[in-house]
Amino acid sequence: MEAVDLGQLLSAQQDRRIRVIENLLRGKKTVSTLYWGQRYRLLPLLNLDKHLQRGGLDTAIQDLQHQGWVTVDPEQATLRLTSTGEQQLADQAYYRPVTTAQWVNLDLVAARQRLLLAVQVTSQFAHSTARYYPLATDQETRRAVRVWFHRRKSPALASQLGAALTASLQQLPQQTAGVVTDQFTGFGQPGLTSEQLAVTHQWTTWEVRLMQVDGVVQIAQDARQADHPLHELLGPLWQVPISRSAQATLAAVEAGGDLARVATVRKIKLSTVREHLLEAAIMSPLRDFPYDQVLPETVRQDLASALHGSIDDWQYTALPTALQAQYDFFYFRLYAIWRIKEATT
Amino acid sequence: MEPLTTSLKRVFGFDHFRSGQVQALASLEAGADTLAILPTGAGKTLIYQLYGYRHPGCVLIVSPLLSLMNDQVNRMRMSGFKRAAAITSQTPFGERLSILNHLNQLQFLFLSPEMLAQPQMLARLQQIQLSLLVVDEAHCIVQWGPDFRPEYLLLGAIREKLRQPLTLMLTATAGQQTRAEIAKQLRSQPQVVTESVNRPNIYLDVENVADEATKQSRLQDLVAHLRRPGVVYFSSKQQATDTALWLRDTTGVTAAAYHAGLDAEDRFKIQQQFMAGQLDVICATSAFGMGIDKDDVRFVIHYHLPADLESYAQEIGRAGRDGQPSVAILLYAPGDEQLPLALGQANRPEVETIERYYAHPQNFAADDPQIQLLAFYREHGISEEAVKRLFASREKERNHALAQMLAYVRTETCLRATWLQAFDETSPAHTAQCCAPGNVALDLTALGLTRQAPAPEPEEMPWQERLARLF
Repeated sequence: MEAVDLGQLLSAQQDRRIRVIENLLRGKKTVSTLYWGQRYRLLPLLNLDKHLQRGGLDTAIQDLQHQGWVTVDPEQATLRLTSTGEQQLADQAYYRPVTTAQWVNLDLVAARQRLLLAVQVTSQFAHSTARYYPLATDQETRRAVRVWFHRRKSPALASQLGAALTASLQQLPQQTAGVVTDQFTGFGQPGLTSEQLAVTHQWTTWEVRLMQVDGVVQIAQDARQADHPLHELLGPLWQVPISRSAQATLAAVEAGGDLARVATVRKIKLSTVREHLLEAAIMSPLRDFPYDQVLPETVRQDLASALHGSIDDWQYTALPTALQAQYDFFYFRLYAIWRIKEATT
Repeated sequence: MEPLTTSLKRVFGFDHFRSGQVQALASLEAGADTLAILPTGAGKTLIYQLYGYRHPGCVLIVSPLLSLMNDQVNRMRMSGFKRAAAITSQTPFGERLSILNHLNQLQFLFLSPEMLAQPQMLARLQQIQLSLLVVDEAHCIVQWGPDFRPEYLLLGAIREKLRQPLTLMLTATAGQQTRAEIAKQLRSQPQVVTESVNRPNIYLDVENVADEATKQSRLQDLVAHLRRPGVVYFSSKQQATDTALWLRDTTGVTAAAYHAGLDAEDRFKIQQQFMAGQLDVICATSAFGMGIDKDDVRFVIHYHLPADLESYAQEIGRAGRDGQPSVAILLYAPGDEQLPLALGQANRPEVETIERYYAHPQNFAADDPQIQLLAFYREHGISEEAVKRLFASREKERNHALAQMLAYVRTETCLRATWLQAFDETSPAHTAQCCAPGNVALDLTALGLTRQAPAPEPEEMPWQERLARLF
C-alpha cells in the first residue's frame, strides 16, 4: 500500500489508529478493531490484505509524514490528515469502489480464486485445449471448480459464462471492467498481474486490487440468481460476517438467556459472551440485534444522561463513579454501537 | 519387461531418447543408484517419469524450490500422470491430510526436504512401497545444505530409514568435488552418468565496467540492442523489480520481474507471459529458471556476480535451448565480489555466537535464521566443535568457489576453457564463435544477435471484445 492509498483511509476530522487499519486489512477481528473500524467507516477493508506484515504500513506513513499530509500522535499511534493532505488527496483522481457494502458478506479471497480458475477452465475448454497449466490454487478451490465444471460442462457453457460476465462488468466503471477482463487467464491470454495493470494505467497496485474486488463482488452478486452459470460455485461463499461462536452466543441470548446463564450453558467466560455480543452488534444491522433485551431502555437513559458530545470522545473512565459501578464497560460500548447504528439507519 | 524405447514410445510418443536419458535409465534398471549430470533441457524429468511408469510403487521426489513443486505436479498431470501430488510447508493442512490419506495410491510424490525430515511424514513413507527416490537439483545439497537448508544434510540418514531405496540424483552441473559431496551426503556410491556441461551455441562474454552507473547504462544499451527474449539475473529482489520498471520506461522493452517474493498467481502469469512470447525481458533472481521450458531465450545477462560457477552454469543454461546462437554476458564492476561474500556470510553464525548459543541455548530468540540453524544442529546431536568445523570448512569452500568465479571474470584467453576446467572438462579449441573475455569487445552483429524488427503493437480492443475472445 502506497502513501496515497493509505491517505484515502484517513480523515482530517478524526484521529485514526494505525493498528486498527492494519488489523482490519490483515483480518484480525478483535472487538476493538471492529468497533473502531466501524467508527472510521472502514469495515469493508476486513481481510483485504491478509499477507500484510505487522508494521507493513510504516513506509506509507513515513511518506505521508514526509509530504506533510498527516500528523502522527506517537503516544496514541494515531494519524490525522493535515489540511494540505486533505486538499491534495481530494485533488487526485482516485478509484472509488462501488460494491463496498457487500464486501464483508463475501469470502473475497476464495471467490476470486474460484472465479479465475473457472474462467481459465471454461476458456480452455471452449478452445478444446486439454493440456494447459492450470492456475496454482489451493486444493479446495480446485475441488470446487472441478465439481462445478463437471456439472456445468456443455457446448453452451463458454457463451453463457461470457454473457454473464459481460452483463456483470457492464454495471461497473469501464476501467474496472477492463482490469477484471485483463487479469483473467485463459486461452491465448496468460493474464496481467496487478502490478502490470497499475503501471500501464498509472494507478497504484492497491487501486487495481480495489477494482478487482469490485469485479468479484459484482459477479458474485449477480451469481445469486439461480440460473447464473456461476451460481453453485460462488453462492456458498456468501457469509454472515459474524464468527460461528458469536452467532451461537447471539442465538442463545435471543432465546431468552441472561448473559451469565448463556456463559454457563455454552461453557465460556462471561467476558467472552460479551465480546461475542459486541461483535454481533457491530456487524449486524440495528434490527437484527436484540438491543431491547441486552440494553434495555432504562440503561440507555442512564448512560445518555452522562454521555454528551462526539462519540469518539466518550470515555468510560470519565463516567460518574456511580454509573461505572452500575454498568460495566460492555454496556458503555454497546450503547455507543447502538447510537452509531441509530444515527446511520 | 518391455524395452525402454517401447515404453518411451507408448508413454511420450517419442522414438528416441535424448542423450544421457537412456544411460541413466539403464543404470537404474540395473538396480544401481545413479547420479545424472545432464545439462538444462536434457529432459531429466522424463527419466523418473518413465521409471515410475515401468515399476510399481511410488516415486518420491525431493525438490528444493517450493514454488517449483506445484509446477512440477501440474506438468506431471499434463503429461498424463494424474496420480501426482506435492507437499510443502505451504500446503494447507486439509490438503496435506488428504494427500497423506491417499499416499498408497500415488505414483509421484514431491516433497521439500523439510517435509521429508518430519518424523510423522517419514513414518508414513516407511509404510508404502517406494520404487525410486529422486533428489532433484542435487547440487543444492552442497550449495544450500550447511548454511541455508540444513535438512538436506539429513537426506543420507532419511534414505537409510527408508531402507535405502534405489536413488536417482539429478543435477545440471557438478564438478568432481560436488559429485563426491552428493554421494557422501546420500551415503551412496552412485553410477555417474554425465554429459558435457558445454553449450557450444552460447557465446560467453565478460564485460568490465568502471562502476555501478556505467554498469546500468551498459545493461540498458545491451537490452536495447540484443535479440530477444532474454533474462537478466540479479542477486536482489528489489533491484530486479526496480530494473524491470526502469528498462521498460527507458528502452521500451516489455519487461517484468520474477522472484520468490511474488505470490503464486503473479509468478504463474509472468512465467506464462514469458513462455507465450509476450515479454521481452525477465529481470529475475535465481528463483527463476529451474523448470522453465522456453527454448528461444537469446541472452542471459548477469548483473551481479554469482557465488560460484555452478550457479552461473545453471543460469546461463536457460539460453539457447533450441541450439541457436545465444549469448551469456557477465557485467563486472570492481568490488562486485563483495555482494556474494556478504550474502554468503549473512546466514553464517560467528564462532562466538556458536559458543554462546551452545552454552545457553535458551537465551536466544528462535526467529533468527542463524539461531534456527544452530538449533537444528544442536537438536540433531551435532557438537559445538563439529558445528564450528562445519562452518569453517563451508566458508573455505565458498571462498574457493568465489575465487573460481573471479578467475573466470579475469580470464584473458578463453572463458570457455576456464569454465569447463572447473567441471574437469577440456574445452574445444578457441574460435571466434567461442567467447569474448573482459579485454575483448563484444560484436553482436558478427554473432547475428542484434535486435530483430519490433512486432507491431496490437491494437487496443474494448474490454467486451477481449472478454469474448477468451470464450
